[in-house]
Amino acid sequence: MRTLPSRVVITGAAAALSLSLASCGGGSGGGASDAAPAAAAPSASAAVQDALTKPAELTFWTWVTGIEKTVARFEAKYPNIKVNVVNAGQSADQYTKLQTAIKAGSGAPDVAQVEYFALPQFALSKQVVNLADYGAGALKDKFAASAWAQVAINGGVYGIPQDTGPMAMFYRKDIFDKLKIEPPKTWAEFVEAAKKVKADNPDNFLTTVDPGDAGGVDSMIWQAGGTPFKTSGESNVSVSLATDPGVKQWVSTWSTLLGEKLVDPQPGWTDEWWKGMGSGKYAVWLTGAWAPNGIVNSIPKTRGKWAVAPMPQYDAAQPMNAENGGSSVAVIPQSKNIPAAVAFAEWLNSDPEAVKSLNEEAGLFPATKALLDDPAFRDAPLDFFGGQKINQVLSDASAAVRPGWQYLPFQVYANSVFKDTVGQAIDGGGDLNAALKAWQDRITAFGTEQGFTLSSGG
Amino acid sequence: MTAPAVPAPRSGLARPFLRLRVAGYAFFLPFLVAFLVTVVAPLAYAIYLSFFQDRMIGGTVFSGLANYARAIGDALFGAGLLRVALFLVVQVPIMLLIALGCALAIDSGRLRWPSLFRITIFMPYAVPAVVAALMWGYMYGDEFGLVGQIGDALGVALPDLLSRSWMLASIGNMVTWEFVGYNMIILYAALRAVPEELYEAAEMDGAGAIRIAWSIKLPALRPALLVATVFSIIGSFQLFNEPNILQTLAPAVITTSYTPNMYAYNLAFNGQQINYSAAVAVVLGLVTVVVAYAVQLLTARREKTL
Amino acid sequence: MTAVAAGRPGAHRSAKARRRRRSPALTVIMLVMFVYAVLPLFWLLANASKSGGDLFSTFGLWFGGDFHLFANIGDTLSYQDGIFLRWFGNTVLYSVVGAGGAALLATIGGYALAKYDFPGRRLLFAMVLGAISIPGTALAVPTYLLFSRVGIVDTPWAVLIPSLCSPFGLYLMRVYAADAVPDSILESARIDGAGEFRIFRTIALRLLAPGFVTVLLFALVATWNNYFLPLIVLNTPDWFPLTVGLNQWNAQANSGTSGAGDATYQLILTGSLLSIVPLIIAFLVLQRFWQSGLATGSVKQ
Repeated sequence: MRTLPSRVVITGAAAALSLSLASCGGGSGGGASDAAPAAAAPSASAAVQDALTKPAELTFWTWVTGIEKTVARFEAKYPNIKVNVVNAGQSADQYTKLQTAIKAGSGAPDVAQVEYFALPQFALSKQVVNLADYGAGALKDKFAASAWAQVAINGGVYGIPQDTGPMAMFYRKDIFDKLKIEPPKTWAEFVEAAKKVKADNPDNFLTTVDPGDAGGVDSMIWQAGGTPFKTSGESNVSVSLATDPGVKQWVSTWSTLLGEKLVDPQPGWTDEWWKGMGSGKYAVWLTGAWAPNGIVNSIPKTRGKWAVAPMPQYDAAQPMNAENGGSSVAVIPQSKNIPAAVAFAEWLNSDPEAVKSLNEEAGLFPATKALLDDPAFRDAPLDFFGGQKINQVLSDASAAVRPGWQYLPFQVYANSVFKDTVGQAIDGGGDLNAALKAWQDRITAFGTEQGFTLSSGG
Repeated sequence: MTAPAVPAPRSGLARPFLRLRVAGYAFFLPFLVAFLVTVVAPLAYAIYLSFFQDRMIGGTVFSGLANYARAIGDALFGAGLLRVALFLVVQVPIMLLIALGCALAIDSGRLRWPSLFRITIFMPYAVPAVVAALMWGYMYGDEFGLVGQIGDALGVALPDLLSRSWMLASIGNMVTWEFVGYNMIILYAALRAVPEELYEAAEMDGAGAIRIAWSIKLPALRPALLVATVFSIIGSFQLFNEPNILQTLAPAVITTSYTPNMYAYNLAFNGQQINYSAAVAVVLGLVTVVVAYAVQLLTARREKTL
Repeated sequence: MTAVAAGRPGAHRSAKARRRRRSPALTVIMLVMFVYAVLPLFWLLANASKSGGDLFSTFGLWFGGDFHLFANIGDTLSYQDGIFLRWFGNTVLYSVVGAGGAALLATIGGYALAKYDFPGRRLLFAMVLGAISIPGTALAVPTYLLFSRVGIVDTPWAVLIPSLCSPFGLYLMRVYAADAVPDSILESARIDGAGEFRIFRTIALRLLAPGFVTVLLFALVATWNNYFLPLIVLNTPDWFPLTVGLNQWNAQANSGTSGAGDATYQLILTGSLLSIVPLIIAFLVLQRFWQSGLATGSVKQ
């Protein structure tokens, strides 16, 4: 038995990147340099365009339901390329498979869906292709700034944004009307609203917070102006969960909400939670713009009762928003036809026809400026939401996303131990600051062990 | 029986002795091959991997026994081991006693609809984990779930079965629900192998049902009970499915290291620490072997003294 | 000789059972167990019979407004171009081949351990027991890497081959064979000049039938519900067994973050219900062998 092919080998191949190597599928791991080789980019992007007309077969791992329809449009347009859509599992399941297949040296797809929070991890270990080497940098202006920022890592471009989840406040208008609550514009008003709900019926809550959902809290901290995770270069990581001012903002509000039991620490997506969402036990869901699908499909009987408002603010004069969820499409170095894979990923997520199809046929919230600003998209009234033009709120929410957020190059691990630490305080009513410190300690220990240089600087 | 295919060698003792040995190996060979390919090879590979460390920065390096040293001193691993040990001591006897009672009842011949009970009690074992998650999510729900609704009907607040203090008991209940029928079938199959004339003799001697159960059935069940016990011990140390199912319902209670097996899984799957995960799994396996072997020895000794 | 074989349960047993007096108290106690076992399954039936709108809005332990079971079954079978049936077929393939093979190998191997005194058998047996004490979850990644080398990842072989080995079955059969096959029968067959394989085929196999059926049943359920390994070694949904497929639907229902998130809760519940039914049928069919399998175990001299 041999040792595993280490990542060093893959990086070595990447260093030898050239047009010929790339076009014959030598397995580029993406340039190690921050900027794509200037000379290579135009010819590489020509190769990408060229690849669309040549016969090729690609495998695409994704768990987006309904995306086959968009892919079929691609195949109709470029009949030489056959794309096999495979649902190889969702999120962590798929990442494990992907990483194992990459280690094993075979079995990985050409193209794969990777969520934004996991992308830095793949980018850092060169498990996805730096698309800047293939001219993808030119697409930057097509995408919402908040979406592009999440795929532009360390000066490279490691995925094409597919969908986004700008945060918004989904609320039960019927309950708000009954209790005479205005949609809170600030977090202070949010706390007051929570008190009103509680006063009306001690069994009800304004909203829930899932002790197992690190992504939800990451986004809330982002929205509060925090940047607790920073990476510089390839191996310097700073974690400041104990000191970051944005984290402090979040803690101050949510300590009150949790301490006074004004919100329910109820895990999401469970039987209890859906029933609570349907029955009116909970009146608000603070989440990404992708939420309408879940509401419409899981609790259809609440038709007409929901509405959408922007997120509450810490400082109403300087509104800030964050992303929650969303995915990019990345190209895997193992691909035998990287140019075709890149061409497909680019078309799928930036061609106007594709983007429209992703939104309408696969139900994804868009990442491109063209669609976010499209009046036909923005101004469509939704019956389920009592005729409200919710996409106006959601598109504006996208524009308001605060730039500068970063995920760790091992966020998958960090998020997995969230429930061991911060989740404990959310669930058991403990001290959030101490819990955040415990989370920081687990992250620091892991990062150090993985060979990163950790600091707790602010 | 018609003429034997192989003429019986009657020349001396050595040849048939050898023949028996060869036959023994030949019969065991197919299983051995499957075992080597599907268990030993990956296990050997995992043990090999456990001597390395694979870092995101710096690649793979040989680390000797470092992973083992770390596992032995790992507080999260230790806490998980203690938890499953507690689970083992409490849940396994309860489950096996219920299974024993059910097997004896069904075999007694005094039960109405025995095959109905046999199949319904076994049925939970056939429920896939995905469904079990949904089902128990409902059962244990303290608001809209069965527990909540019983509480409302009685006008009392029943405890939240998914809270920290009740979780291990809730898992114990799930495991019992799932495996009582399984163990019952093992014991029942053993009861079917008891020669009928033993019962007839006992009945002729005027022994009652309880007397027969005590002095004929229980001794006959001893090997099967040992099987069930040993496998329940292994199952307890490897406790994974049920807490993993419930963790979506109570993420903060079921931490990533709630049981040693969950810890090993999360190390490999969320942390990409395949090497350390392998070391944790090997240590867990060794602990399991020691405990299972000790229980077997104890039983064997007791049998000798009886 | 004949006495021992014919004295095993079977026809005698059921005749005897008829003579025994029923005990209502025992039946009542067992009815409690019945409710305990069945209640969660009843929840499954009730909720698989609900429409999507009723699922999260009606009382959990009873049926919804409309009886939607057959509509749900139709939806389940036709969802995603009828992939459920494909998964169903895969599961049948994996279970029948895997469990059948595993039960056979375990029976022969257990018989060998119990009835043949060959050097190293204790060590081999201890090794088997020791090896299964290592949790499979931690072996998943090494298994994947090995299979990948052999080139069987994402093929049915990757699921079939591992399910052929049932250490539990081996253990059970060793214990069972020790009691069920009396040495005296073997010896007299040998004195009659029967070959070892013939003895196994014509005598031992029949005596081992109830044990074999038990192991087969367990192996069947184990492969039918096998989730972890197929999840790791299969990528293509066309090869998924039901468990992995249903879990994928479940993940879909719970992922607003990506895609339309079809209302798959109904499909999961109905699909789960459908996936349990064949196991119940298998159980009903197999349990006949406990009753009749031994009756034919008499040995002609």
